[in-house]
Amino acid sequence: MRSLAMRTLVLVIIVVIIVASIGVYYYYNYASPSTTSTNKPIKVAILFDVGGRGDLSFNDMAWLGAEKARKDFNIQVEYTTPQSQAKMQDLLESLSASGEYDLIVLVGFLWTSPLNATADKYPNQKYALIDSSTFINRPNEVDILFSEQEAGALVGVLAADMASKIGCNKVGAVAGMSIPPLWRFHIGYLFSVKYYEMKTNKTIDFLWEYTGTFGDTQKGYQYATSMLQERACVLYGLAGLTHVGMFDAVRDWNKQGKGVALAIGQDASQEWYMPRYMPISGAKRVDIAVYDAIKMVAENKWTPGIHVLGLKDSGVGIWDLDGVKYFAEIAYNQSKLETGLTPDDVVRIVNETRNTYITETGWNIMSELEQLIISGQIAFKNPSTEEEYTQIVNALKNGDLNAALSRGSI
Amino acid sequence: MPEASNYMRIVKVIIEEAVSLLVGFAVAVIILLFSGYEPLSVISILFSEGFRNTEVLMKQSIPVIATGLAFSIPALAGLFNIGGESQLYIGAFTGLVSTYIIYNATGQPVLSSVTGLVSGTLAGGFWGFIIGYLRARRSVNEVVVAIMMNWTTYYLVLYLIVSRFTDPIYSHMSVFVPASSRIPDVLGFIMITGVAVLTYIVLRYSSLGYSIRVAGLNPKAAVYAGFNLEKIFITAMSISGAIAGLGGALFVLSVIYSIDTTMSAIYGLGFLGIGIGLLGRNNPIGVVLAGLFISGLQFGGQWVELRTGAPPYLTDVVIGIIVIALSATYTYELLVSKLRRG
Repeated sequence: MRSLAMRTLVLVIIVVIIVASIGVYYYYNYASPSTTSTNKPIKVAILFDVGGRGDLSFNDMAWLGAEKARKDFNIQVEYTTPQSQAKMQDLLESLSASGEYDLIVLVGFLWTSPLNATADKYPNQKYALIDSSTFINRPNEVDILFSEQEAGALVGVLAADMASKIGCNKVGAVAGMSIPPLWRFHIGYLFSVKYYEMKTNKTIDFLWEYTGTFGDTQKGYQYATSMLQERACVLYGLAGLTHVGMFDAVRDWNKQGKGVALAIGQDASQEWYMPRYMPISGAKRVDIAVYDAIKMVAENKWTPGIHVLGLKDSGVGIWDLDGVKYFAEIAYNQSKLETGLTPDDVVRIVNETRNTYITETGWNIMSELEQLIISGQIAFKNPSTEEEYTQIVNALKNGDLNAALSRGSI
Repeated sequence: MPEASNYMRIVKVIIEEAVSLLVGFAVAVIILLFSGYEPLSVISILFSEGFRNTEVLMKQSIPVIATGLAFSIPALAGLFNIGGESQLYIGAFTGLVSTYIIYNATGQPVLSSVTGLVSGTLAGGFWGFIIGYLRARRSVNEVVVAIMMNWTTYYLVLYLIVSRFTDPIYSHMSVFVPASSRIPDVLGFIMITGVAVLTYIVLRYSSLGYSIRVAGLNPKAAVYAGFNLEKIFITAMSISGAIAGLGGALFVLSVIYSIDTTMSAIYGLGFLGIGIGLLGRNNPIGVVLAGLFISGLQFGGQWVELRTGAPPYLTDVVIGIIVIALSATYTYELLVSKLRRG
């Protein structure tokens, strides 16, 4: 028994010596205490959605915006992704309690309720909530929303134009859940399809379905297939991961020779997913929202409250070919691109697809509408209740375009 | 004499744990060095940030203490319960839904939360019973059944949340536990610790505990001595399932209040429980300590990502190595006995 104790002791001592020597080595080599500079650099924490980096869309765009801000303002940016929804609240509290960060950026609507529970406890901690709002005015909180109507409006004109070129004269949208951002997309999309009808004297039918989920590709596939069977040929994806299923349905429809169908992506440029069948994507520039939030702190121009990014702030719109290339490159680096395609191929194919299916008239009507919006001649309504939303949509269906506008008239 | 040998045993355990902790850190340091991160700062952040806030530590450890116990009790009886995962799911779901329904029907906060806890416990217990029954009466391997039940339950709960119990306002969440039925998180921790203490007492001083330990030490001798193995297996699995179910119900009622539609809040807690059971050496009190320890390291891992940019997976690797080193003391014992024999 004594020899056992002795040997264990020897083992302990050896390990202690090894660990300690590594520790001492490190202490002298790396832990140089150079915290003598007096003006502390601005420090920002970015907290992603549970999905985190690598989604090639929402979270990755937030990262892009933060990286740009880090370079432009020469500040310190730190990132983390909550391990699970059960940890979001605790993580936010512990970051706030540390008092280390000049700004905490919360990416995505999942942070709404943790923020609501935390913000009042730490009045000196600044928060920026991206793409969601607590609808409570706090001096330490900025909520950045997007005017989805304006993105939907540009997409709608082009969708209607493509449907008329293909000859089916019917457009559709696979939407996620019935929540305010989707209401806004619906209004913009429907408005501009009607606007296109008015300008060209054509009739374009309109389908809109809520799948009830943002994360179910299977459902996206089913809804899209039934729309295609109803003879819609241009489908707009507004359901996050769900609409990736819609993309697949459109691709299969073409490949099985059932007819010509096109898909439209949203948020990030998603054309790379299937450049032959996806000529355009609506843009929702999460990167710009994150950048703007950091800018407010970096330039000391904090303006709390709700900010809405629209066309004129380049917060929403349609991705140009540079954007298409940019996201194709990211996809390429993650080997998510179709085999054999390079980012340049994607851009070339997308350009061809655009030239094939979008007419000159389509582009002209779109830029005309874009000008009306940017110049402020017209502005869209922002329904706060489901009832108001339904009213607007019904009026639009009956051809009353002005029902969707809070300013100006058509 | 028994006093002295007991004392020696505790000293031995402490020495073993210390050695394994150091070995674990030594390996972790090497891995961090190779991945290009500063090992000392990563490890110091893990500890300093992870164990800063006691309340966070307590509430995050509630479910893993439960699943740790759910692993340990059958382990003592010689069974491998990998089904803590599904037992926790069903407990969390049943607890949530019955609290919600009872509160809406009666408006009684205490009644509803008590019902929630009880029904969560019963549901988890039933899930454990199925595994125990199949093992005892039909000789079906408990690991296979448990793994299949994990996925079946995962999709069952997911389906029920998404199709029947979605919150009308936050559509990515299930319905919420009514505000007045919620249990303070500290109380939740005290309750699960109480369960652990109770388990300790039962295992050590009751005839049931004795029979469980005998069955695990030598099943043949147990049968020869007149123990009913079938009954022991079924009881051990039912109890462990009930504890995991209670853990799930407590976690929902005192910490998360709602299950998200990706189930990220409750996924993986059962698997983590296996490590915690091993780390706690199947001793209920050890499981509580191990649960706190691992929850702290995990929470510290978030800060590691913030401060050093190390991906979260790397922190998981470091934690994993420490757990392996701590729970692999059997290897040391083997090594030492080899050394002694020469």
